[in-house]
Amino acid sequence: MKDRAELFSEENKDFAFRGVTVVEVTGTNFAGMIAGALLAELGANVIRVDFDESPKEVTHFGVKVDGYGIPYFVESRNKEIVKFENVEQLRKLMLSADIVIDAMKPGYLDSLGIGYRQISSENPKVIYVAVSPYGHFTEKAREFSNVPDSDLTAQAYNGYPSLIGNPYLTGELSYPLRAGFWVAWTMAGVNAAVGALLALIEREKSGKGQFLDIATHDAIAVTHIFPALVGFLFNKSRTKYGTLDYISYPFGIYPTKDGYIALATPHDPDFRGLLKILGRWDLEPDWRFSIDRISDDIERIKEIETILNNELKKYTTKELIEKAKKATRGGFFGRIKAVRRFMGRPIIVKLITLKEVLEEKHWWIRKSFLKVRVDSREVVIPNVAFKMSETPPRVLKLVKGVVRGDEVGDSGGAGREVSEE
Amino acid sequence: MSDYFEYVESLFRNGEKREQPLKGIKVVEVTHYIFGPNVGRVLAQFGAEVVKIEPVGEGDRMRMGAVWGRFYKKANLQFLALNANKYFISADVRHKKAREIVFKLAEKADVFVENLRAGLADAMGIGYSAISRVNPKIVYVSCSGYGQWGGRLVMEGSFDIAAQAVTSIGTKTGWEEVDEFYKLPDYFGDFLPSQLAVFAVLAALYHREKTGKGQYIDISQAEGLFRFLYDVTYLSLTSQEIGKTGNIDPTASPSGIFKTKDEKFVAIAIMDDDQFSALASVVEGLKGKEKDRLKKERIKELNKILSEWVSTKTLEEVINLSKELGFPASPVLGDYDIYKDPWRYERGSILKFKDRLYGEVVIPGPVVNLSDSPGEIKWLARPVGYHNRLVLKKWLGLTDEEIDELEEEGVIGYWDNVPGCMPPATWDKEKDRVFWGDKDER
Repeated sequence: MKDRAELFSEENKDFAFRGVTVVEVTGTNFAGMIAGALLAELGANVIRVDFDESPKEVTHFGVKVDGYGIPYFVESRNKEIVKFENVEQLRKLMLSADIVIDAMKPGYLDSLGIGYRQISSENPKVIYVAVSPYGHFTEKAREFSNVPDSDLTAQAYNGYPSLIGNPYLTGELSYPLRAGFWVAWTMAGVNAAVGALLALIEREKSGKGQFLDIATHDAIAVTHIFPALVGFLFNKSRTKYGTLDYISYPFGIYPTKDGYIALATPHDPDFRGLLKILGRWDLEPDWRFSIDRISDDIERIKEIETILNNELKKYTTKELIEKAKKATRGGFFGRIKAVRRFMGRPIIVKLITLKEVLEEKHWWIRKSFLKVRVDSREVVIPNVAFKMSETPPRVLKLVKGVVRGDEVGDSGGAGREVSEE
Repeated sequence: MSDYFEYVESLFRNGEKREQPLKGIKVVEVTHYIFGPNVGRVLAQFGAEVVKIEPVGEGDRMRMGAVWGRFYKKANLQFLALNANKYFISADVRHKKAREIVFKLAEKADVFVENLRAGLADAMGIGYSAISRVNPKIVYVSCSGYGQWGGRLVMEGSFDIAAQAVTSIGTKTGWEEVDEFYKLPDYFGDFLPSQLAVFAVLAALYHREKTGKGQYIDISQAEGLFRFLYDVTYLSLTSQEIGKTGNIDPTASPSGIFKTKDEKFVAIAIMDDDQFSALASVVEGLKGKEKDRLKKERIKELNKILSEWVSTKTLEEVINLSKELGFPASPVLGDYDIYKDPWRYERGSILKFKDRLYGEVVIPGPVVNLSDSPGEIKWLARPVGYHNRLVLKKWLGLTDEEIDELEEEGVIGYWDNVPGCMPPATWDKEKDRVFWGDKDER
């Protein structure tokens, strides 16, 4: 374990994208800003050009970090941020860029004379990453080119809110429901970064750049596979599914006597294990197979769903977790393979609050979060998403503030660079 | 100067179509479910040669996980799409010889992907330290729930839904007034971290191209989700958790999903003041109300005004106004709408695809659109162990006799006769030269 921590140490390590220059022009489209941030974490020289103040205004319930919206503050990591002065200034930056991220309205930069066709004629090595609701080609893209992007509208066109919520509720509570996370902008942003790297790797061979088109209104659906596939196989849409599922039931968040748990039984033996724990072996004959518990007829499933809800509420979260732990794959007879195949155990995890997340030492040992000092205030931000042994991604600076040592209870120590606009 | 959209379209239709970015890259994966397999999926879409190693018989457990239990020609179409373009071999790793085969394949690989429980790959002798010793240029990625090192969570098993609970993401979706929490569906807790894993692998390959050095990547579902959990910053500033906000996006105001006059749903989310003015130019009640529009109570007040207005308009009217005036609005689609959407076929994000074994199906295309070195779906996933002979001959130079011997010893094997694992009924074993390893898929 200690070896691993040392292997991933950030000390004296190289950056994967040292020498790669990125120009980011994204306005309030944070999918583009996220793509730039992922490249910047790995050492690309990312120059963000802001046309106005509006991206800084986008923030949760109006809460800001010293004038900066939270998403802007977090995604400004390692970037050099400049104000747009004139087309010539931006053109010059783009001519020397390896990667351009354009998340403005489709055709806007082209109309200024600095789109892909103009820039690539002078800088044929440029990798042009276009991020927009409906892309930069097709009739639909043209038709909707004046419609700005948002995560929520992108969720909607990806078919995501149609799947969320309790299918048995009525009235406004039966409306499609937003995922409480920027699912579309994050997926599109990561996909844009993936595409940029594919083009960068290809350029090593061909010496040429190319055009990449990311549609936020499609990013989830194309990645997740399910929507097209369900349409093809069933000629209809899934309804909202709540704690039900279409592949494996149960798979969701359930109330207990004193809180909530995430519950999953990936295989039939695990479901049997759950019935054992709950003392409801009587249900086994009717609901034995996965195929009994997943159905497009949600009324049929309601029976087991109601029973399960009632049974789980008889126990505290702790009791359920303890019971699941003790249910070691068939108990004493678990050493017999045939028994193990018959009797498994459910996955039961406590649904915790964010405060509880931040009390979990595991994340601080792994530096999953960083503490930043902004003036006299301490602000917590997400750190990088993964660890690399040779070229670890790192947060070196933010638009404002000092990135602090991030051990538990660290009281300051040597900060990294400060960047003030 | 020609029209911009036509110009871009011409780039995609008539681009150079150079060699795929990852042509020549060899990938070995010991993966199951989604997190790991999706990494190989994307690499294979862009030209990598991916060998997936599965247990004998039932293979990857995801094979059995068909939507509503519906198998397609005895296969799980979701699995067929998630594992397209890969080569399938099946070995019993309890056998020493099987572990040697995995090891030899890894020795020849550029990338190794695993999403076993943390520590298991090491225990099997195919962990990073063992493989990098014989193949120091390897890019090795371990995908797990909570990471390969750290505190008490390392040893915990994970699943999409468990990661959503452990990260508190599970507390964020639902109605404020209803005592329920909903998961992010379709295994988002697998797919987003997996796309981040793809990004990390590509970064490592790029670095290796420049320096010749391989490396180890440790990616967890939890940290992949944390990366965009802006709530931690909000909490540190306000001591409050954002929690559930129903259909409100806390960064947009007004924002929500509203019912139109013709009983359809439309999502609207206003990200800045210009968009607000555009909307307010037609929604009388919003005029002059942009001040403090992101305050929670204010969002609710503005949403009420907007909701009333939407209820007097058809979906088409709202969408037309959004195009004309420039504010974000979108219909709320379902699976069937997506399946029928011509735009997606034009983009290539949904394809009608004809497979040698499974015939014509409709599946998603490559996850990103590149003009000159595009991704491609070449073939769908195959039954358990289907490419045993092809891979063992091509990669390790084994003869048919040697492979027969491995089969007899139970080192390698094939599918159980259960849906998801087996070939379609029309499959003719004797005539299938790919199965016998005499011919490649392409």
